[in-house]
Amino acid sequence: MNDPGRNSTLWLLATLILAMSPQAISMPPLVLVTVLFPLFWRIGSELRNWKPLPALVRHGATAVALVTLFLSYGDLSGRRAAVSLLTVMLALKLMECYRIRDARLVICFSLFLCATQFLFNQGIVMPFYAGATVILALVTLTQLHRAEAWAEAWRHEGEPPAVKASLFAELSFSFRLLALAIPVSLAFFVLFPRLANPLWGIPDTTLDSKSGLSDSMSPGSIQNLFMDDSPAFRVKFSGPVPPAEQLYWRGPVFWRYDGQTWKGGFYGRNIDAADLPEPGNSAWDYSVQLEPNERKWLFALDYPASIPSDSRLTLDYQLIRRQPVIQLIQYGIVSNPDFIDTPELSAPLRFQALDLPENRNPRARDLVERWRQQFPGDAELVQRVLGHFNREPFYYSLEAPLLGTHAVDEFLFDTRTGFCEHYASTFAVMMRMAGIPARIVTGYQGGWHSERGDYLLVRQSDAHAWAEVWLQGRGWTRVDPTAAVAPLRVQQGSLGALDSPRHLLDYPWLRGLRNSADLIQQRWNDWVIEYGAGRQARLFSSFGLDYMSPVMLVSVLFLAIAVFSAIVFPVVLRIKGPGQKDPIQHAWQKFLKQLAKAGFTGLPSDGAIELAEAAALVLPSDSAAINNIARLYTRSRYAAVPPPFADLKQAVRDFRPKKNGG
Amino acid sequence: MNSTVIASERGTEGRHERLLEARSAVNSILLGKDMQVGLAFCCLLARGHLLIEDVPGVGKTTLAHAMARVIGSDYQRIQFTSDLLPADILGVSIYKREKDEFEFHPGPIFSQVILADEVNRATPKTQSALLEGMAEGQVTIENETHVLPSPFFVMATQNPLDLVGTYPLPDSQLDRFLLSFSLGYPDPAAERELLVTEDRARLLDRTSALLDPQDIKALQADCESIHVSENLLDYIQELLRETRDDRWFETGLSPRAGLALLRASRALAFLENRDFVIPEDIKNVFPALSRHRLSPTSGFSQSPEEQISELLSQVPIP
Repeated sequence: MNDPGRNSTLWLLATLILAMSPQAISMPPLVLVTVLFPLFWRIGSELRNWKPLPALVRHGATAVALVTLFLSYGDLSGRRAAVSLLTVMLALKLMECYRIRDARLVICFSLFLCATQFLFNQGIVMPFYAGATVILALVTLTQLHRAEAWAEAWRHEGEPPAVKASLFAELSFSFRLLALAIPVSLAFFVLFPRLANPLWGIPDTTLDSKSGLSDSMSPGSIQNLFMDDSPAFRVKFSGPVPPAEQLYWRGPVFWRYDGQTWKGGFYGRNIDAADLPEPGNSAWDYSVQLEPNERKWLFALDYPASIPSDSRLTLDYQLIRRQPVIQLIQYGIVSNPDFIDTPELSAPLRFQALDLPENRNPRARDLVERWRQQFPGDAELVQRVLGHFNREPFYYSLEAPLLGTHAVDEFLFDTRTGFCEHYASTFAVMMRMAGIPARIVTGYQGGWHSERGDYLLVRQSDAHAWAEVWLQGRGWTRVDPTAAVAPLRVQQGSLGALDSPRHLLDYPWLRGLRNSADLIQQRWNDWVIEYGAGRQARLFSSFGLDYMSPVMLVSVLFLAIAVFSAIVFPVVLRIKGPGQKDPIQHAWQKFLKQLAKAGFTGLPSDGAIELAEAAALVLPSDSAAINNIARLYTRSRYAAVPPPFADLKQAVRDFRPKKNGG
Repeated sequence: MNSTVIASERGTEGRHERLLEARSAVNSILLGKDMQVGLAFCCLLARGHLLIEDVPGVGKTTLAHAMARVIGSDYQRIQFTSDLLPADILGVSIYKREKDEFEFHPGPIFSQVILADEVNRATPKTQSALLEGMAEGQVTIENETHVLPSPFFVMATQNPLDLVGTYPLPDSQLDRFLLSFSLGYPDPAAERELLVTEDRARLLDRTSALLDPQDIKALQADCESIHVSENLLDYIQELLRETRDDRWFETGLSPRAGLALLRASRALAFLENRDFVIPEDIKNVFPALSRHRLSPTSGFSQSPEEQISELLSQVPIP
């Protein structure tokens, strides 16, 4: 039997699952279990007719879930923890949700939950996902209404009425509702007063593992990023885009090496830059739109001559923001490539830039000492090492074998296969062995230039590591050993340098498609995410309105909504104008026509039920359908809570009486 | 079933079921008159009074008796005769010598259910004593006002007007009755059953009360929440307007009759277990509501009943 009560419950579960999925993905596993338990229990209970759980179990589960949540997050004040709390409570609600009122509540909170996801992700996919959730929620609400009307009808008519619901009708109804909401929400978006600074601060303690460069580098760390095609940032140059060999986006800089892992230096991290480069003649002027990565680095080309607000420039020219980037931000920068970084290296810095762990890599040490004797000049020695990488059979590949204690030795003499971090690390270590101060810089290299959007897209897969050596008179100088091994890496981007695809869906044409599709995301960021107080003011000043006070904005907003409503509502509510027919009456007339065709004509003074009884005598084989339609029509037309119109429409559409020919 | 999101919102606490049970109990006593029995209950629920009009011996009194039984309220029967005086109905104040004051002795009208048998045999003065009480819910005797009990339900029977020894009720007083109908002769099957089964009087004695005054008050209140849609209000107005057209009747239905029609339709819908009125409810109750209120224009050969059904067929359902 088609039971609309169960139907609506399944719809409800689907809505809830869709609404909580984005949150569930980033939950700690234990918390996820407390969400999944009631969910699965409820699904099972629907399919297998399990009894409702006793109150003790429900309360126990709630207590366990809350304790788990608290233990997993530490405190419940962060965004993730708060939204997780909502998710967990909603899932637990399923254990006691048996009334239509409760079900409606769950749906409303699901919509709220869906909206909270914009706190974490403001990409272009999110609105569509939220839209899908809303559609599902609307269908569920329709189903709940149907279940209610059905139960009502059952109670009043003694038998369960036939339910004919077409999914298509309900979907189209939901889409129509959503379409109606869009102009209003657009008005809210454009006109609602924007604040230059948010009124409330969002706690920054987040536990999301967004991919991005980390504050240390060990073999494999960049390799992981390399699999990730998501955008890291986008850049718009005010002039021509510099050539690919110049596009080194400076990120975390590492000084300390323990034999495996590179870490940031104390001085580098904590002391501000002594002198700021002058924006010279050959400077680049550009603005960067940085995707949220929950880290503090801002990326810039060497060397930033201006410092974005809320951030500082460190001794080793890292741009560090005071707060992690938890939402899309935009900053403008001028870079001067000709700046000389640290003409004089102080003793503590020199010491740190030469420090190596003891008793490691004897073979490399021997080699470097041999070369040192051949090439006393620092610059010549750098060339010698790069030449070694170039001439000897070194391979640029993702399948780098694991390295042991003497990582540099093994790489240099045995495996000879690695990724940018292997080359950069090995090179820096060899430089230090030779007494040349060296450090590692990580960041991004290159980017894909969108001709149509005129911007540069830098993906996570463009992550790169290179080395810097300090040379007398030239200061810190960038040396990219990877370029010596695989020049294509620098000229064509990281993907061009590989012979084999990274994974199953890695084809050049697909990558091209994704690059082109990024234009949409870039426009979205530009027009939607970045639409703030400033953009709003500029919009109005283009209409000649220099300043709109919040009160004026709200007045305009309500005016716009009122005008829209005045135009749309008469159409939507089908207020009977001349010549416009009530859809219920229309369906009924259609039904009467069908009856007339079959050989039965009623009187205008007959009520629907009377008419159906009379018609059933003439057309006994169709009496069930006739009575059903009459009952639906009567309820639709005269009851306080009419059943969904779709039912009547469908019943009339399906009504095909047999001719009463004899 | 209990795992689904279904809730029973309105609790009737079983009184609705008891109401239906009461109706079928009366149906089993008065055979083959389902429609009239339904109307009698409808009248009770709509806080109206009932006038049963027919020749002697078709079961008017039996119906009234059976109703009174199942309703289970405090019940009085008043046999109207030409020498009945108002005081016989209302009660009298008697001087008590020992207390040196008048003491009021309430008459039979101070009951919840009253059967006024052969109401048109009494004199107009006596008739109006009852009818005033019905209209106002209170009686005034010697400047003292006495409130009648609640619920207060009067079933009056009346012989056809052309029989000798009757004083016809005036139009203004007929209006006090919400519904009126005639029982008519039973159909052959019902009559046969009547002949072969037990005596009705004994059956009546065995019938027990199924409702109590509290139930009735609650049911009457339930009826008022029945939904009537706008288009049915249009329909009611259309019917009223049609009765006022002088090609049918001497005078049309009053606004009070319109209100009565609305109340009775709600009660009928409630009896049918619906929480909204449908056109059939109005159509079914309309003849009983209007036949004692309307008199056909002279020169028509049709009976009022025929006229009314003719009128109903002229008004389209909205």
